[in-house]
Amino acid sequence: MNCQEFWNTMPELAHEAEDGHFEHVRECSACAALLNRQRTLASGLRMLAADWRSVEAPARVESRLTAAFLGQAGLAVRRPAARWWVPVATWAAAAAAVVALAMFLARDRQVVPAHRTASSRVQLAAVEPPADLEALGDSSDADGDFIPMPNGARIEPNEDLNLVRVEVPRSAMIALGYAVSEDRASESVEAEVVLGPDGLARAVRFLE
Amino acid sequence: MIEKPMTPNLPETDDELLMRMRSGDEQAFVALYRRRQAAIYRFALHMSGSAAVAEDIAQEVFLALIREQCGYDPERGTLSGYLFGIARKLVLRHVERGRPDVALETDLESSALPELMANGDPLAELIDREGIEALRRSVLALPRRYREVVVLCDLEEVDYGEAALVLGCPIGTVRSRLHRARALLLEKLSQRWHHRPGAIALKPIRCLI
Repeated sequence: MNCQEFWNTMPELAHEAEDGHFEHVRECSACAALLNRQRTLASGLRMLAADWRSVEAPARVESRLTAAFLGQAGLAVRRPAARWWVPVATWAAAAAAVVALAMFLARDRQVVPAHRTASSRVQLAAVEPPADLEALGDSSDADGDFIPMPNGARIEPNEDLNLVRVEVPRSAMIALGYAVSEDRASESVEAEVVLGPDGLARAVRFLE
Repeated sequence: MIEKPMTPNLPETDDELLMRMRSGDEQAFVALYRRRQAAIYRFALHMSGSAAVAEDIAQEVFLALIREQCGYDPERGTLSGYLFGIARKLVLRHVERGRPDVALETDLESSALPELMANGDPLAELIDREGIEALRRSVLALPRRYREVVVLCDLEEVDYGEAALVLGCPIGTVRSRLHRARALLLEKLSQRWHHRPGAIALKPIRCLI
């Protein structure tokens, strides 16, 4: 084995020297010296590694990454829920408001005689619709003022309200104290409904 | 009375921690980070020579792990190797931007072995702190392809097989680069020794046997 062949085996990378290595370095003082230098270098590299063993990233990196991880984990949990919940809830609330109004107006469809009862009249008279409701109800064919829904929240001044026009059975007027003849109870009648910001009906008036 | 054999409380593997981490376990992430961050930071620091760059790279490596679409595949290697691989790519990106704190690459791989030297013993100074610092600077001055193999295999004690995966080359190439890198380190350290004031310049002798 000559020097080139000896170094081609990369003896400095071997964990243990093979027999051939010892034979060559015994005969070649230059290679023996160089191999010795290589081993010294390897020792120096180990010392450098040990010297740097305590070197690590600043603590702020861990803080930033932990915050990023929590943000990512939180998003991962919330994201699927947010995708379907928002539109479903919106449509559900709107549908519930309409259904609730329809059920309220349609319940107890018993035809009662002629005119509003005294008690209804007293109750309606006691309720003063707020001023901003007048601005909403500018329909020319409106039949009187808005009637607050019995279980609805009170309308506050400057509250964000919506006005929708719907068609309901005439018999629904009975629940609000109107007189409806039996032969017209099955007809439809248009009504304007005031919806609060929560989507629930606050007041109604019939257009006729 | 028969005593039950005690089962050693083995630490969780990287893959187990990663699995818990992906289910949102913060403690698993912190444990994994603390286990692997130092080696990644040191690799980036040795490669870039800049603490600020190393900090950025360490952070980016673990951010990549946090992201849902990280491409780690346990079938293809260890998590440690995967993290070193990301760090290496970030270092390369840093080099491509032309930062001056990284040694320029030169094509030395195909050149012949350096002349074998049997001169004085400049490596004797490696035993002191100044010598260790000189060695660190010599590592930093190596061309990138040699520097990364020295940092991985000699300083971070990554085995050749894993280093080959990190570097995307055969194990034989890792060994040959390491062989070449050490020869270059000896050359650089000898040059430093020769340039010291009062040092006696000894002419290298070629081995003829």
